[in-house]
Amino acid sequence: MDANERDTRVGRSEAIARFLLTRSPLGEVVRRVARLRASVHAKLLGAFLLIALLLVAMTGVSLQAITSVARHSRLLDQARERVDASRRIEQAVGVQMNVIRNALTLRDEATLVGILHDEERFADTLARLERAASPAERETITRIRVAERQLIKTVEEIRSLVRADKAEEAMSLHLTEGQPQYREIATLVTRVVRSEEAGMDRLRQSVEASNQRAVLLMGGFAIAAIFLALVLGFIISWSFIIPVHEAGTFLGQVARGNFGGRIDVPNRDEFGALAERMNEMSRELHQLYDHERMLNAQLERASKAKSDFLASISHELRTPLNAILGFNELLLGEIYGPVTEELKVPLTDIQTSGKHLLRLINNVLDLSKIEAGRMELALDDYAVHDLVAGVLSGLRPLASQKGLALTSAVPDDIPVAHGDGGRITQCLMNLVGNAVKFTQQGRIEVAVDCRDDVLQYRVIDTGTGIPADRLETVFAEFRQADATIAGQFGGTGLGLSITKKFVELHGGRIWVESEVGTGSTFSFTIPLRVEKVETA
Amino acid sequence: MSAKTILYVEDNELNRKIVRDLLKRTSYRLIEAADGEAGIAIALEQRPDLILMDLQLPKVSGLDAVRTLRGAPTTADTPIIAITSFALSGDHQKAKDVGASAYLAKPYSPFDLLGMIRKLLPEG
Repeated sequence: MDANERDTRVGRSEAIARFLLTRSPLGEVVRRVARLRASVHAKLLGAFLLIALLLVAMTGVSLQAITSVARHSRLLDQARERVDASRRIEQAVGVQMNVIRNALTLRDEATLVGILHDEERFADTLARLERAASPAERETITRIRVAERQLIKTVEEIRSLVRADKAEEAMSLHLTEGQPQYREIATLVTRVVRSEEAGMDRLRQSVEASNQRAVLLMGGFAIAAIFLALVLGFIISWSFIIPVHEAGTFLGQVARGNFGGRIDVPNRDEFGALAERMNEMSRELHQLYDHERMLNAQLERASKAKSDFLASISHELRTPLNAILGFNELLLGEIYGPVTEELKVPLTDIQTSGKHLLRLINNVLDLSKIEAGRMELALDDYAVHDLVAGVLSGLRPLASQKGLALTSAVPDDIPVAHGDGGRITQCLMNLVGNAVKFTQQGRIEVAVDCRDDVLQYRVIDTGTGIPADRLETVFAEFRQADATIAGQFGGTGLGLSITKKFVELHGGRIWVESEVGTGSTFSFTIPLRVEKVETA
Repeated sequence: MSAKTILYVEDNELNRKIVRDLLKRTSYRLIEAADGEAGIAIALEQRPDLILMDLQLPKVSGLDAVRTLRGAPTTADTPIIAITSFALSGDHQKAKDVGASAYLAKPYSPFDLLGMIRKLLPEG
């Protein structure tokens, strides 16, 4: 049997059950049993007890039938015995009559004496018959006894005559007295025989009828017991199956995230308690869900407020900084008059630090926009050469101050690229800026490769390096490889996470290889032509 | 030949002063407006040879101002340099769309601005 077949079979039996539950009074009974304020244990015990009672009743009925059959067979035996006894008497009477005639012919007194002796046996048999005889029969038996006594008297007289050798008279007495008396007895005995036979027939018929009744009763009782047991089983099982089904459906809803629903079962037993618990659970889940939604909304509002605040504060910071940088550049450009070489040094420092501050502020602003999902790329054509040259010229003063060589390796045949050149510049600025910051001596190189329409930028330094166990977290927000680094080198730890976001917005990826004491290489890829922008 | 006139529409006084100081040593004549509305009025009235338009302005936004000026016959062909905020990516495209001749992102280097001005409007 495969699963499908089993399913249809289950479906069919369940369809029958559903039909019975909705279209027959059984449904109401099932609901009432479910509503019974009793435990499942008590209900099951009750059902089993009822079935046990049915079995006991069935056994009782059977025992009664068996007893009745036994009693009837005993009665039949008795009746048969009585019929036999009465027939024996009938035979004996006939035999005696012939024996007397023969005895008279032969003048054999001894035979006559035997007959007289037989009388006792005859009386015994009669007495046995008389017990449990009907009144009419008893009367007949009494008459037989009377006739018998007269006959005995007659036979004794015949015997006396035979002994006196008066054969003629004896024969005459036999013919006139004996024979009619015998005939009367024979008639009476025959009547008894008939009566006993009729009694036995009646008894046999009544026994047959009663046996038939017993069979019918037992069969009917068995069928009724099976039917009752089935109905009882149906009722008790469905009073449990219904709440289980309801619970299944209900839990399915909960599993699909549909909280706050209610399960309604008629049961007031353990299943009812279970359903109540489920309702409590559902209520609790619903409350938790509402609470969570409220918290989420609050969090969203707070997050948006933070982003808005960051955006506005960085904008506010930038405005005066623009002025500082602008005027400083005018000063350096000798717009306000000649500037001594001595003075140019601090003015250049102001310019460098101001630009650094501006980068930091821009990073904060970018991050707030990325978090708010409002970061968009401005796609345009750009030349990789110009981009790298711009970054290098921007950071060369800083590198020179530390005595670091800052070089680039960009092949001449790189085609015009398409993407957000400003953001890619920012990425390189962040990486090269970091490299300058963390390199005490040696060199920093920016290398670009173009393979299969993918640009790979690499920033290679000979700096402090990053321990292997911290490589994973360097791109996380507000993270530096070591908390002490912030103290030593400064920085917000935003640059790398923003760089990662920009690279991913372009559909590229970023990674780092590093060895402590030797240096780090940060690499990122950007498709040569970015046509569609990933959402932040 | 009279000096070429540049209109600078910008609400921040210090930013205006930077450009004022920058152009002091050149032959350009600078006129200023502090909001979009005044900027449009002065541009239509005085017909400058070049307009520097900040895009974040009170009253009428810089983009709307550029659009209005491009619609007016007297300023339809005047070179306009849109000064966009670095913070708002996409401003470049918007500036191009409404008809700006060039754009420069804030914070800009004053000498870069001067170079751009000279390219669009050579000194007399």
